[in-house]
Amino acid sequence: MGTINSALSLMTQALDSDQAALNVTSNNVANASTTGYTEETPTWQENSSVVISGISYGQGATMTGATSQRDTVLQERLNQQQQLASASSTRLTALDSVQAVFTPSSGTSTTTGDIGTDLTSFFSSFSSLESSPTSNSLREKVLSSASTLASDVSSAASSLESQRSALDQEASGVVSQVNALTTSIAQLNQQIQATGTSTDNSLEDQRQNDLAKLSTLVGVNQVSTGNDGMQITTTSGQLLVSGDSSYQLTTGMSGGVTHIYSGTTDITSGLASGGGQLGGYLTARDTDIPNTLSSLDQLAYSVSTQVNTLNNAGTDQAGDTSNAGDIFSAPTQVSGSALSMSVVMTDPDHIAAASSTAGTGDNSNAIAMAALASQTIVSGQTPTNYYSDFVSTLGSTVSNVETENTAQTASQLQTQVDSISAVNLNDEASSLTTMERSYQAAAQVFSTLNTLMAQAINIGTETTVS
Amino acid sequence: MRVDPNYNSVLAASLNSVQDTEEQLTSELSSGVSVSSLSDNPAAVGENVILLNTIQQDDTFTQSSSLVTGQLQVADSTLGSVVTQLTQAISLATSANNGTMNSSDVKSISTQLSGILDEVQSLANTSYQGQYIFAGAQSSTAPFSTSSSTSPAVTTYNGDSNINYLVTPGGDKIQLNVPGSSLFTGSGTNNVFSALNSLIADYSSGTVDTTQAVTDTEALGTALNYVSQQRVVIDDSINQITSASDSATSNETQLTATQTNLMQADVATISTRLSLAETQQSALESVIAQLGSASNSLFSKLPS
Repeated sequence: MGTINSALSLMTQALDSDQAALNVTSNNVANASTTGYTEETPTWQENSSVVISGISYGQGATMTGATSQRDTVLQERLNQQQQLASASSTRLTALDSVQAVFTPSSGTSTTTGDIGTDLTSFFSSFSSLESSPTSNSLREKVLSSASTLASDVSSAASSLESQRSALDQEASGVVSQVNALTTSIAQLNQQIQATGTSTDNSLEDQRQNDLAKLSTLVGVNQVSTGNDGMQITTTSGQLLVSGDSSYQLTTGMSGGVTHIYSGTTDITSGLASGGGQLGGYLTARDTDIPNTLSSLDQLAYSVSTQVNTLNNAGTDQAGDTSNAGDIFSAPTQVSGSALSMSVVMTDPDHIAAASSTAGTGDNSNAIAMAALASQTIVSGQTPTNYYSDFVSTLGSTVSNVETENTAQTASQLQTQVDSISAVNLNDEASSLTTMERSYQAAAQVFSTLNTLMAQAINIGTETTVS
Repeated sequence: MRVDPNYNSVLAASLNSVQDTEEQLTSELSSGVSVSSLSDNPAAVGENVILLNTIQQDDTFTQSSSLVTGQLQVADSTLGSVVTQLTQAISLATSANNGTMNSSDVKSISTQLSGILDEVQSLANTSYQGQYIFAGAQSSTAPFSTSSSTSPAVTTYNGDSNINYLVTPGGDKIQLNVPGSSLFTGSGTNNVFSALNSLIADYSSGTVDTTQAVTDTEALGTALNYVSQQRVVIDDSINQITSASDSATSNETQLTATQTNLMQADVATISTRLSLAETQQSALESVIAQLGSASNSLFSKLPS
């Protein structure tokens, strides 16, 4: 049969367990704002009952430990979404800088640096020259509008180049952060496998936190292996962490930009499409900016070449026929034309307004050069239409990434994860109260049992114990 | 049911987003431009480039028109003076041809005609802003010069037959000049100078070979008619340029209105949206203040 003694010992155990549970609650409250902390709940286990003389006696409960409230599948989905979201937000930031180079002209005030306006001014200066082909001031105007066009195109290209090299440095920076995190995860793998997850929740918290950080940086896949291990690969399949080993990414220059290697394999293009900040940086660096630059190059190349050809085919003010010289520095190839665009002509008399067969007062070559504005000289389009398409296309790309960025927000999944894993202070207040009451009750029962015990001890004695 | 205890961070994100909207709208209001970056409206920025291009082309044409109109008007009035001079020459020749004049009167006619020749040649060598307007493309040198080494004297044309055009925004070509060769030294009897020189020679001796003089006078009459005809070309050009310039100006006005509609901010719409955003912001702030207050925590209800 049960005794007061055993009941007392049962209550002692209950008081210990309640204290342990209060400790868990206190730990939750203390870590309410800790990044990566997962709410823990005390685990209670009913002690095995004892059967004496055919009667079963309950033996109370033991607090066996704290369990982290974690849904690893949901956490993994959040990480995947985070990779997409951070890739598109990084790319968007880069594209915002790119499109800032091509601020649309409002038309009401003269917007400096608007290449569309520059193109029109340049070709219009030839239209003006038609009216008085020998006018020095109109010739000066041709050269000055050519200089404005060339310097705006060239400074846009140089701005894009410097943005590209800034992105290149950012990408290299991300690689070293990735290496630091994979090293840390490999070490945590080792510790977790040594101690087991059941004994130390904080290690798993750290590992999940590192994994979440890694997901904002680079596109990864995670595979849980036996014995609480974890294997991490890039989305294109290169191993980053396996068990307690991490595989470092290395960088090297190739074609003027940083390429990223796993061992000796160049994985740059796989990382670009993989997601994370690195994916965003690499996409902007290797796709968006080069596309924009090559459009500008094509424009600069075609305009420079066509204008130079026509100028050399006419007669200049000095009567020099078919030898007037170039207005723009002659590009040798399309690539790099925008950056190197400049005006090499210094003497406005060398503008060949007259045709090769006419006197210097003729304007037919000026008409021909003005007519370039309405001819399909740039990739099958007129210069203005080409530029118009160019800004529309760039605008659409940015706008699409903006939309994508809004759609790919991870906040919904974050809410789901938080609803499971974050510390809810109201819950903690509630369990604190419950544990407090439970402790009070146990103490009260202990006290009552103590009184009973005293009465038992004092049976037959007049001494009063309390 | 489990809830996300970090709802305040979600609310803060909404608040940021509302403030971002307000900032954007305020900048649209202050700048008056609704499309400040390419991604705001990619189709509009593309169209804007083309519209601005057309507007500027129209504007350039309007400016060029006023420049060339000046030159054409000078040409027109010069030709008017030439016609007056030639008409006077014909009337002088006609009076000399009627046989009633004595030798010294005839010589005087010859001298007067020489004066008219000089005047006409000087008119034919008229320049506008330093360029000879009847010289074709050889506009830097005086196109007409007369050599008196022979009799009759010979006036030669040193210009060429080049014609310049001004291209309208619509691609039409408007003739800007009539070369001196077409006006004054045309083929056959259309040559003003040869007719004048012949008449001067006819009367220079004081005796008139009436048959020859009448033929030469008639030739001058033909040449005068030819000049008048060519003058019409210039009048036509002036009319064409005026009309093309008017059309360019009205086109420019319309396109500017379109362009303004495309890119400019609609104050009423933006103000309404701004007001909505402000309301939303104050609502969000109230919610955050309410939910964030310590009295909402269960801990505040626990006995202390």
